[in-house]
Amino acid sequence: MDDWPFRRRAVVKAMLLGSAVPCVLSSRAFAALSCDGHIVRMGANVSPDTLNPFASYSNWWPLVYTYDFLVCVDAQRHADRRGFAKEWSVADDNVTWTFKIWPGMKWSDGQPATAKDAAFTYNYVRKSIGTPNELNAGWNSTEGMQNVESITALDDDTLQIVTKSPTRWPIDNGVMMVPEHIWKDVSYADARSTFRNDPPLVGTGPLIIQDFQQGQFVRLSPNPHFRTGQPKTAGMVFNFFNTADPIAQGLKSGNLDYGISLTASQWADLSKDSAIEVGQNRIEQRDYLAFNTASGDGAGSTEALQDPAFRDAISYAIDQKAIVERAYQGHADAGAGLVMPAAADYYSDLSNIRRHFDLEEAARRLDSAGYRDVDGDGIREDKEGNKLQLELITGTSSGTLEIPIAVVQLIAGWLGQIGIPVSVTQLDSGALSARTKAPAKGGGGWDLLVAAGWRSPSAHDLLVLGKSADSSNTSYWSNEKFDQLLSEVEITVDLKKSQELVDRAVRLIYAEAPYIILSYPLMLDAHRKDCFEGWGTEISGWSYYPFDRLKSV
Amino acid sequence: MSRRIGRILLRAVITLVMVAILNFGLFRVIPGDPASLLLGGARTSVTDEQIEAQRQNWGLDRPLFPDQALDYLSATLQGDLGYSFKFRGRHVADLILERLPATIVLVGLAQFIAILCGVMLGVYAGWRRGGAVDHAATGVSLALYSTPSFWLGMLLVVIFSTALGWLPGYGAYSPGANVGSLDLALDYLRHLALPVTAVALGLIGQYVVVARAAMSDVVTEDYMVTARAKGLTGGQMLMRHAFRNAMLPVVTLITLNLGYVVAGAITVEAVFAWPGIGGLTVEALNARDYPVLQGIFLLLGVSIVMANLIADLAYGLLDPRVRQ
Repeated sequence: MDDWPFRRRAVVKAMLLGSAVPCVLSSRAFAALSCDGHIVRMGANVSPDTLNPFASYSNWWPLVYTYDFLVCVDAQRHADRRGFAKEWSVADDNVTWTFKIWPGMKWSDGQPATAKDAAFTYNYVRKSIGTPNELNAGWNSTEGMQNVESITALDDDTLQIVTKSPTRWPIDNGVMMVPEHIWKDVSYADARSTFRNDPPLVGTGPLIIQDFQQGQFVRLSPNPHFRTGQPKTAGMVFNFFNTADPIAQGLKSGNLDYGISLTASQWADLSKDSAIEVGQNRIEQRDYLAFNTASGDGAGSTEALQDPAFRDAISYAIDQKAIVERAYQGHADAGAGLVMPAAADYYSDLSNIRRHFDLEEAARRLDSAGYRDVDGDGIREDKEGNKLQLELITGTSSGTLEIPIAVVQLIAGWLGQIGIPVSVTQLDSGALSARTKAPAKGGGGWDLLVAAGWRSPSAHDLLVLGKSADSSNTSYWSNEKFDQLLSEVEITVDLKKSQELVDRAVRLIYAEAPYIILSYPLMLDAHRKDCFEGWGTEISGWSYYPFDRLKSV
Repeated sequence: MSRRIGRILLRAVITLVMVAILNFGLFRVIPGDPASLLLGGARTSVTDEQIEAQRQNWGLDRPLFPDQALDYLSATLQGDLGYSFKFRGRHVADLILERLPATIVLVGLAQFIAILCGVMLGVYAGWRRGGAVDHAATGVSLALYSTPSFWLGMLLVVIFSTALGWLPGYGAYSPGANVGSLDLALDYLRHLALPVTAVALGLIGQYVVVARAAMSDVVTEDYMVTARAKGLTGGQMLMRHAFRNAMLPVVTLITLNLGYVVAGAITVEAVFAWPGIGGLTVEALNARDYPVLQGIFLLLGVSIVMANLIADLAYGLLDPRVRQ
């Protein structure tokens, strides 16, 4: 059976031909986008499901380059972009706001962009309140508009917002300004769901979305009518990935110029590459441990969770510095209060009331609070005599940076050392969302939760974690005094007074300890140095990154 | 014969009905509410009223049985796969049809390459048992067969994209490439090369192992000795007697694998950010997009049942013993 019907020479020829294919394909004739294209190539891991800002929260990137906010965070942090409004002021009554729109500004299709467009955008959203198709499913949402009395274009350059009571909402809101001539015929039913807002879009931002392939990429080109001059690059492409691995590989191979949401090990690896510069940026995310403080339906396995003394004692058993060093490999700030360092207007490290890691102190406080190990088996009992055995659930919510699993392992280890065994359940974002819903909606039943939140740096969003009955308040904690402070913040315009109120609320919730803030993770990113310059360090996680100002090397 | 075919067809129809019913329940037992997930990202506060309004909008407020279940079944029977939650009311059929070509090209081409290379190598190894090629092919095939294709994919990216810079490591084509031009076609091929290789390598191992085993069995048969005694050349023996008889298990494997062409290679698609059905499945699962998940799994069920059906029928044609 030795005879083989095929000729060896033919096989060798075929193999040689096959081996030449990669060389041919890698030639410059077939090269993909490179530095020569002057197009900034970005890698990101949150893919938009629609470009409609009224219907989705997943399209922050890239819409933030095409649409402007009236003011929001951009204008306050990035003086060279600002917002749809060039300047603004509030009258002595603290309810009448006047915004001066950039004179002569144009939409990317050349039509005049005026205060009437801004008034249209706000009123379009506002008039949907209470209708079956209320616009509350995307960034352009009715949230906060209940307090608005009127929004009027006094002339082409002047917008007036009158609120029912004092509030910083007019300059804090994240509503994206859209052109009236495009959106005036879109029904509410379509705006909140099926209207896809297909490209090319029409906006006033520096880069305009020209092409969108779902799950793959978004391509933007410079806005020739941008108010402070057309960006210097030939545009930008966002490539979307499910994981960070292709982003890291793309950076190394030169197929990407910028990558975000990198893991610590990828970041460390990329930092050794001389063509790449790595960065770490403060963002508005806080990772926390929540106690289930609910009583009745949805309560945890022990009433100890509802006892502030128990939670206070546990706080001494959590070493935030060790968490940062060991779980985040140094890429985080140690947690303290509700406010993260990125929210510079309100941040305080609470140094004069901060608890410090001390397992013996934690044990002493548990003893004095009545949670002792009566039978000497190494496990403490609660006041009802039941052994403390806590269930900790964890997972990463969509839109937040991943929480390293080592965080949970460290916490479980420390609690075990003070006689409180912990079992850990890891959930995906869907299951996590189901279990952390309000008890009245079928949530609860767990004891401890390690999760993350990423909201805007506005005073309301900083405190919302403790707001009674809010969906963000996953500890189910309720405190009248805290709610009252939050209500006052919501109707306070003066920044200094707002800072005082936030500080009082932050200290109150810290003392009660329904949450232990573990860390404020840093956003790890990297960019190549060979194609573009001007990456800057003024990067804000909540709002846009100033990459429209890059220049080719 | 016709009774046998009738039995096979009936079995296929019953299986499909069961798949359709299971599809409905399967995804709804996973914890997680699509309305909460879609509206309540970590960056927003949503009220219960907002979530309830969204649930009403999608009909999720109605009783699961019988209302939602009967609606789903009757719509499915009429070929209506419904509307996506995550993709804001887009037709599920449109979404699937949009992603299907990329998957069929990826997995179909990988299957074609794997069948061609794997069967030839397996037959050669079986024909020349104990030789150097047999040892090498068997060892390498077992290694490839047991290696996860996503890992192979990552390895290929590191070598051919990152280190050598020969081929792109993600996506289906470069953004901005001219649609309809020759450049676009070449660009697509460059993007296709690594994911196809990753899928094909895993499949080649499968085919080599099965083809070699089948050929090894055949070459020891008495009729092969008779053929040699009759004076047939090696080539004649291989093509007329050995190859055809060894193909029975290989054809079965090919037919069954073809059923998975539409299922895609979820992990490989994830590694290469390939815009196929695999990626859509992951996105739909994360959002608990029931209609899209139901549509994809129904398509998957149909393709596998059809592949089994073809395998059953082909078996009868290839092997007279089965017909009897």
